[in-house]
Amino acid sequence: MVEKMPILEFSKVALSFGDTEVLKEIDLVLESGKFYTLLGPSGSGKSTILKLISGQLQADAGKIFFEGQVINDVPAEKRRVNTVFQNYSLFPNMNVFDNVAFGPRLKKMSEKDIQDKVKEMLGLVKLSGFERREISELSGGQQQRVAIARALANDPEVLLLDEPLSALDYKLRKELQQELRNIQKRLGITFVFVTHDQEEALAMSDWIFVMHDGLIQQNGTPEDIYDEPINHFVADFIGETNIVPGIMKHDYLVHFVGKDFENVDAGMRPNERVEVVLRPEDLDLTDPANGKLVVTIQDQLFRGDYYEITAVDDDMNTWQVQATNPATVGARVGLTFDPEDIHIMRYNESEAAFDARLESYEDEEAEAALQAAKDDQSQSGGQG
Amino acid sequence: MKKIRTPYLIVMFLILYLPILYLVFYSFNAGTTMKGFAGFSFKHYGELWQDTRLIDIVFETGIVALLSSLLATIIGTLGALAIFRVHRGAVKGALLSLNNVLLVSPDVIIGAAFLILFTTFKFSLGFVTVLLAHVAFSIPIVVLMVLPRLQEMNPDLVLAAQDLGARPTQVLGQVTIPAITPGIVAGFFMALTYSLDDFAVTFFVTGNGFSTLAVEIYSRARQGVSLEINALSALIFLFSLVIAVAYYFINRLNQRQKAPELREKVK
Repeated sequence: MVEKMPILEFSKVALSFGDTEVLKEIDLVLESGKFYTLLGPSGSGKSTILKLISGQLQADAGKIFFEGQVINDVPAEKRRVNTVFQNYSLFPNMNVFDNVAFGPRLKKMSEKDIQDKVKEMLGLVKLSGFERREISELSGGQQQRVAIARALANDPEVLLLDEPLSALDYKLRKELQQELRNIQKRLGITFVFVTHDQEEALAMSDWIFVMHDGLIQQNGTPEDIYDEPINHFVADFIGETNIVPGIMKHDYLVHFVGKDFENVDAGMRPNERVEVVLRPEDLDLTDPANGKLVVTIQDQLFRGDYYEITAVDDDMNTWQVQATNPATVGARVGLTFDPEDIHIMRYNESEAAFDARLESYEDEEAEAALQAAKDDQSQSGGQG
Repeated sequence: MKKIRTPYLIVMFLILYLPILYLVFYSFNAGTTMKGFAGFSFKHYGELWQDTRLIDIVFETGIVALLSSLLATIIGTLGALAIFRVHRGAVKGALLSLNNVLLVSPDVIIGAAFLILFTTFKFSLGFVTVLLAHVAFSIPIVVLMVLPRLQEMNPDLVLAAQDLGARPTQVLGQVTIPAITPGIVAGFFMALTYSLDDFAVTFFVTGNGFSTLAVEIYSRARQGVSLEINALSALIFLFSLVIAVAYYFINRLNQRQKAPELREKVK
């Protein structure tokens, strides 16, 4: 089977503005037809990657490939990518139809084809019948839909979306997230979505690149990134997290807050100093006698679908807990969790080393599980 | 404060308009001077109608104003685009200052400078020299009106157009120029009024019998203003009034296009 050629590839791409290194040696590979998200705080370099893809910026070093061809020197207007801008950037002197028809008209399509194209695109973003509206007559959400239609009307291979939903209110944002995902699936083209909203990234993406300080910190599926963050930054940036220092005594045994705990991580040096991650939703409240940790409830916020509880242990570590039932502020309670809820992060581990380590012991585990299943089967077979 | 405000405004505008109204009032005088109103008459308007030289000058003044402001608008808009694209702050600031110096420098100096220039290069003074001088002093005005529009424009509009495949000339024609059109129109009208008004510069560079209204009225006034001039002034005043009112309505129309909520309310 022939391996599918990546649609976009960055090889050691770097860019500086004066003395500021905006991107430091970025490598990334995007496959065709997937929904990618570049996630990171402002100034992390995520929008810069988008501008390098669209051709608004030129890389200082490294190569950018589009379907295997180097495109570093291809001007923006000749690239088969289009952008949806954060502030919509619709042409105010044109109505909805003319905005969407802008690209097709430049391509000298026939008036009939343009009509069909605009109709199709407006249908796709659920704005059929809005052709004659002026841009100033549209709400923010409608404007963003027109912007999406305008970009898609050019038949891009890759659609770049630069924080397109950040100016919209919560409900509208949710709605458009769903629709963008549906549009991407329907058209089957590649989307590269930039956002600083981790919730949005987790909800929409096939694959996430977490960016910080001009570097890709981690890339993977939303589940991978959430469950197995590589470092403090990723763990802290993606969702609510409890991070405490610990020592990995040996494989599958970690020591933190003065106690030893069984866990499911391996592949580190004995007695290596590590960081321990426990997600608030994995912690359960129980009575102090049954708790693995004993904490004092300090604060509690009602969040609608859960209570956000802040507790402090005797070593003054703060613990965030998400619970469905309210707790009593000031009460001493126990915290329990399962060995698989503990995630271990090594200091300064590279992504490649992290992936390799995870794979090595996950393979071991898989083999062990397979062996156990076989044993199980032979046993039951023996009994039968 | 409110008690003072209304009378203050009334008195202020009365003082500003009184001389003009006085002039207009005497244009209907049956007598020949502004000393005493001898009765209502249109006779000075009749004289004006017979005065072909003056009517020719009115038209020539208009042609100079229209042509010079049109040329200045084109050159000034291109200049504003060029200054806008200068990225180095210091250079941009210097260019803007050079532009503004021309705006504030006295007309007498500009007029004298042009006179020296034209005589050095042996230009014969007349229509062409007046036109060139008017174009020159109008350009900075247009630049000043257009540049803020460029700065207000969402820079992503240009990026969006490029992104959709527009070449630089297409971006300019289809996105940038439409976005700054209000500034261009305002610049054109400002240039037009400056040209119509101008006396000092024109006085220096005109010759060969060519004259504009300001210069002609000045030379006639030296021999005592005839009421024919009053009649002409009254007509020009009326014309300005019509332009001002028209401008107000055009502006309101533009505002409404910008803010449709407003239009909904008006309905």
